[in-house]
Amino acid sequence: MTTRVLLAEDEPNISTSLTFLLERAGHEVKVETDGDKALETALSGWPAILVLDVMLPSLDGYEILRRLRDDVRTKNLPVIMLTAKGQREDRETAMKCGANLFITKPFSNAEIVDAIKDLATAVSE
Amino acid sequence: MTQVHLAAKVDISASYLNLIEWNKRPIAGSLLRKVADALDISLAELDNATEHHLLATLSEIARLPTLSALQIEEHRTNELIGRFPGWARGIAALARSERAAAARVQVLSDRLNNDPFLSETMHHMLTRIAAIRSATEILTDYELAADRRAQFNAIVHEESQALSKVGESLATYFDKAEESEHALKPIDEVEALFNARANHIAELEDAAQVLSAQVSGPRPRARMTHARSLAETELSPLIETLISEQPEMDGPLAEARVRHALINYAASAMVMPMSEFATRADTLRYDIDALAEVFSTDIESVSLRLTALAISKDVPKFGYFCVNAAGTVIEMRSIEQLAVPRYASACPLWVLYRAQQSPETFIRQRVVFPSGARFVFVARAVHHGPAGFGKPRHYQTVMTAMSEDDARKTVYAPDPNTSVEEVGPGCRLCPLTDCLHRVDAPLSE
Repeated sequence: MTTRVLLAEDEPNISTSLTFLLERAGHEVKVETDGDKALETALSGWPAILVLDVMLPSLDGYEILRRLRDDVRTKNLPVIMLTAKGQREDRETAMKCGANLFITKPFSNAEIVDAIKDLATAVSE
Repeated sequence: MTQVHLAAKVDISASYLNLIEWNKRPIAGSLLRKVADALDISLAELDNATEHHLLATLSEIARLPTLSALQIEEHRTNELIGRFPGWARGIAALARSERAAAARVQVLSDRLNNDPFLSETMHHMLTRIAAIRSATEILTDYELAADRRAQFNAIVHEESQALSKVGESLATYFDKAEESEHALKPIDEVEALFNARANHIAELEDAAQVLSAQVSGPRPRARMTHARSLAETELSPLIETLISEQPEMDGPLAEARVRHALINYAASAMVMPMSEFATRADTLRYDIDALAEVFSTDIESVSLRLTALAISKDVPKFGYFCVNAAGTVIEMRSIEQLAVPRYASACPLWVLYRAQQSPETFIRQRVVFPSGARFVFVARAVHHGPAGFGKPRHYQTVMTAMSEDDARKTVYAPDPNTSVEEVGPGCRLCPLTDCLHRVDAPLSE
């Protein structure tokens, strides 16, 4: 099942690997490296799933998520938050802002691919 | 004067006075002052601070949950002090030393958790490791064309080199931290003491409350000067006890800095008694300038006093930073996720360093850190030192910091259109590569 995945990630080597993995899994991937751009693309209605890094230039992941949840077009968009900080408060902040899943770096490839697959299935049901 | 006469003079019953005399009822505040006036003696003489403190400490020990199995006879504490004063002081000293050591461990642990360098370095390391792990799993798990294989090999190579640099920087940091420990000790000692008590020193608040009515002086600085001199003369034993509870104070300079900070704290507590200050601060939405006017004091004292407000979900948590003209931090009360680097220069984009260009003016700055954390800074450069024609004018900058969420409860709340400035904790930790003010390469490069 092909799903459109927006990857908001400013680390080029991580986005290269994730793009490869998701495309191999049959998904269509768009990468944004800047917070403002990521928000704009997410609001455009293109993605079915958003993979969102917390630390992004110009607008951080939490703020993007808050704004997406405040917008009627994206209030139910499935969002996976990625962060290098696995501290409890980061997880709590992500969930409070309305993330569906929270994955910490370093992650295994299978963890991400399976999470996208599960969310894509849930969306289609 | 008989007990009955004294009781009548201060409007209490003779039996209640008897209980007070036998340490079976507490005495403080206005009653303490009335008794002192009736006997025509000073508060310090009347309120035998040492004995009260000893009794409080021993009672606290008796009630420790960890010692409940010993069934300590708390009701006989007065007898212990009376019959074996040396042993009583010895037990209290040991308990204080144990409590100070535990507080010190907590401070060091907090420091490790909140140190901006360590936090950023950990982020860099985990990011590099994530990139390496993902690329190596792809190399292992997938059949790849030669150019793809070369691409992922290059990622592993590049990220391994970056990881190695981060590791080197971490090792250098710890070396420098060890070298710098002595030079930065005095500021650290002050911060450690206030950190361990969440910036609120209850003993000084109580003692200052009693003295607050005596503070006079029409001009802001005169009031604080008078209050400081009252604190020095009347609260010296209490302040010295607090200093003696600090573990391993490193030299006379550190001790002097801590003493100065405690005297200032007590003076602020006299000029701005906490219950009234908390109410006014809430009503005035924590407006520093307005509070300074209400309490006829200076804005530095108000800024510092805000950090002593009791921690609650409705009250904003304020941080305080004071730097001299050379940009050296001379006093700070940090808040979670925000501290200036201890062993390197801070980010020059903080309004803390810009405020001296417009002295005596409040400047607000809305900032976002690379971690995504958002804060509001309010800084003002204030004249420091003697004034007069021909004398050089020296300025210090004081800055109040609060999280953006907390700022919404204050007059400093930025509206959504207020620009957000990207700042960092310092160049080595900052990933913003296109910054014109960069003077050092970031760790990730």
